[in-house]
Amino acid sequence: MKKPSITNGVNRGRRRLVAAGSVAVASAALGLRAPAVIGQTKRFSGVTLNVSCWSAKYPRLLEAYVGEFGELTGAKVNYDTPGLQVYNQRADLELSTKGAGYDVLNITFIFSNRWIGNGWFTPLDPYLNDRNKTQADFDFADFLPGAVSPMKDRKGVVYGVPWVTDSGMSVATRYDILQASGLGMPDTFEELEKTLAVIHKKDGVAGFLTDNHWGFWYPPFLQGYGGDVFRGAPDDLMPTLDTPEAIHSADLLARIVRNYSLPGAGGMSYGQTQELLRAGKANYAFVTHVGGMSHAEPEAKVAKTLHFSLYPRGPKGRFPGIASHGWGIPAGSKNKDAAWEFIKWATSKTLITRMVREKHLGSVTRRSIYDAPEYRKLINVNGQDTGQIVLDTIKLGEQGHMKYRTPPVYPQVNVQLNQAIGRIISGQMSAKESMTQAQTSLIADFRRAGMKI
Amino acid sequence: MVYPGAVAQPWTERRDRELVWGLVPALIMLASLTAGPIAYLWLTSLTPLNLAQPATQWNFDQPLANYASMFGDPRFANSVVVQVKLSIASVVLQLLCGLGVALLLHPNTKIRTVARSGMLVPMVLPPIVVGITWLALFTVDISPIHRLFAWIGLPFGPLLTNPSTALWAVVFAGTWQHFPFAMLMSLAALQMVPEGPIEAARIDGASRFQVFWHVRLPFIAPTLVVAGLFILIDSVKAFPLLYIMTDGGPGEVTEVTNYYVYRQVFTFSLWGYGSAIAVLMMIAVFLLSYLIDRITRRNDGAWA
Repeated sequence: MKKPSITNGVNRGRRRLVAAGSVAVASAALGLRAPAVIGQTKRFSGVTLNVSCWSAKYPRLLEAYVGEFGELTGAKVNYDTPGLQVYNQRADLELSTKGAGYDVLNITFIFSNRWIGNGWFTPLDPYLNDRNKTQADFDFADFLPGAVSPMKDRKGVVYGVPWVTDSGMSVATRYDILQASGLGMPDTFEELEKTLAVIHKKDGVAGFLTDNHWGFWYPPFLQGYGGDVFRGAPDDLMPTLDTPEAIHSADLLARIVRNYSLPGAGGMSYGQTQELLRAGKANYAFVTHVGGMSHAEPEAKVAKTLHFSLYPRGPKGRFPGIASHGWGIPAGSKNKDAAWEFIKWATSKTLITRMVREKHLGSVTRRSIYDAPEYRKLINVNGQDTGQIVLDTIKLGEQGHMKYRTPPVYPQVNVQLNQAIGRIISGQMSAKESMTQAQTSLIADFRRAGMKI
Repeated sequence: MVYPGAVAQPWTERRDRELVWGLVPALIMLASLTAGPIAYLWLTSLTPLNLAQPATQWNFDQPLANYASMFGDPRFANSVVVQVKLSIASVVLQLLCGLGVALLLHPNTKIRTVARSGMLVPMVLPPIVVGITWLALFTVDISPIHRLFAWIGLPFGPLLTNPSTALWAVVFAGTWQHFPFAMLMSLAALQMVPEGPIEAARIDGASRFQVFWHVRLPFIAPTLVVAGLFILIDSVKAFPLLYIMTDGGPGEVTEVTNYYVYRQVFTFSLWGYGSAIAVLMMIAVFLLSYLIDRITRRNDGAWA
């Protein structure tokens, strides 16, 4: 056993003296507030939370408030918002290995079934139902049911708290051109094609422009004509992309892009199309509410001529794309209580209301905020209540038509649809050839992924 | 001084032993940083590893299934064809541009040094910046190139969404970025050409083209071959420009093998299948490297 030496004793005494001195200096520096701080331990002091979400408006705005969470709870938050694709790849890898690298992650809509179904996220019901962990004022019932449903598993267990339900809709950036031609916003796909034939190139503006994420914009056409992506998702995942309905609707969408868009529009990304729409280079577009609202910002050239409508319908109905994203706690997290505290704080009525008021957050998931006049005023564009279009779109989600989008193999479908519609638009193949190839390739992809179909 | 009882060792033996011991740390690093990941890649290629199904990890029931599947996959075959087109076009264009600019910069002029430095700028730009720049330049409505051609009465449509031109547009952007490498190699080789044969040819009345074709080119040809092989290997790694400019489209027109691997692994989570394709690519690149080594050695012999 090592005997304590005189030198060690002196050093220890000196260290104590220095520590006591430091406390005294710090207390003096804190002035009158010092006595209140000393002795008060914040619940999550010493905890470091790693939080990540893809770069959308809400997570970007949230970054400005994250420091407040640290002040409230004592937790340190490492927060990042990479691009969607990078985020999805990073999160997928992290979750699949059940790593403890992240404590709070976004549950990306198209991965929700895969991430939740494989048990990679923590069930939140034990937190929601525990009054010690979740106070009544959090009011989970306030979240729109259509936003919450993708965050549940088949048994109805909740795994995520939604922060956005992005709704597919239509926008005319130069509605004045439609009005001058005696036209309103088209309600059906047939009307859309006829309207575009009239307005295309009027005032030097292309009739139509939408980003090349056909895996999101095409299924409403497909379902509107009576087809679907799968034979019966989520139970029967046999793809049905070579049906007459699929071919007809793919041909229609490609024809619209080919005939009424800007040159090269078939391959334009979200960023490119957003810039061109804001600059008034193209008129009618399929957008999400978040994307469409960005054209209403004062610096957008088209802010004064913007008009929204529901996504058009086909003969069999209206099936707009809806995508919910929510905060969840990875199964491997070592700081689950602190992570839940962060999620509650980040989706609380108080904070969201402040974000609406201070940062003009335009897309929310709480009914109480939708009902608030202040919010409705914010998302009123040129006298039009876009909030009602969002609510109507989310309500349409109760038809269950978005089930096609959450099976674990949807990334394969997404790529095949992007490529299939791209081939038709660019004239490489007819709609029939391209959709037949997509069907064959998709079956091969599914088999390679270990699916038995 | 030799101590009593000590066995005298030849100096060279001791030196060799010390050299081996000196190399051990580097060899361990090499093994852990290179051989280890390669072994892991190869082992993964023998499994159906799918991140959505954890049980597929280390499942060696059908070790060659991925390789068999690859040869029945038309999209993989298409990606190889696209890769071959992209690689050949890249090599030819980059060598021609590099050699052409080197010939212009070779004579001793005042602006040569400045021009040479300026020509290196594309090579040091991050590929993402190059991709975004050329994406903008190929976007009809905002591109000064398109406006210029329209102004002189030669308008042309979008290149990146036209299946006939998309790949060549990417090759063009890649050539702009990478030709300085061929230029530097050519310039260095041109400066090594002895003046004697050139003077003799000129005295015999050879034209400038004849001097280049019959004197300079034979001297620099081995260097051009090596540069071409390096460009070929580099083209197999093509990714950032495709990611930014075309996402492999329209359809699959610009989906090279590297990009197909990325899709399989990072979009579909099929790590086993993606690894199998990556192993094949690695073997192809290894064979190319071997070829470079052989040619370089032969050149060394010829120049010695």
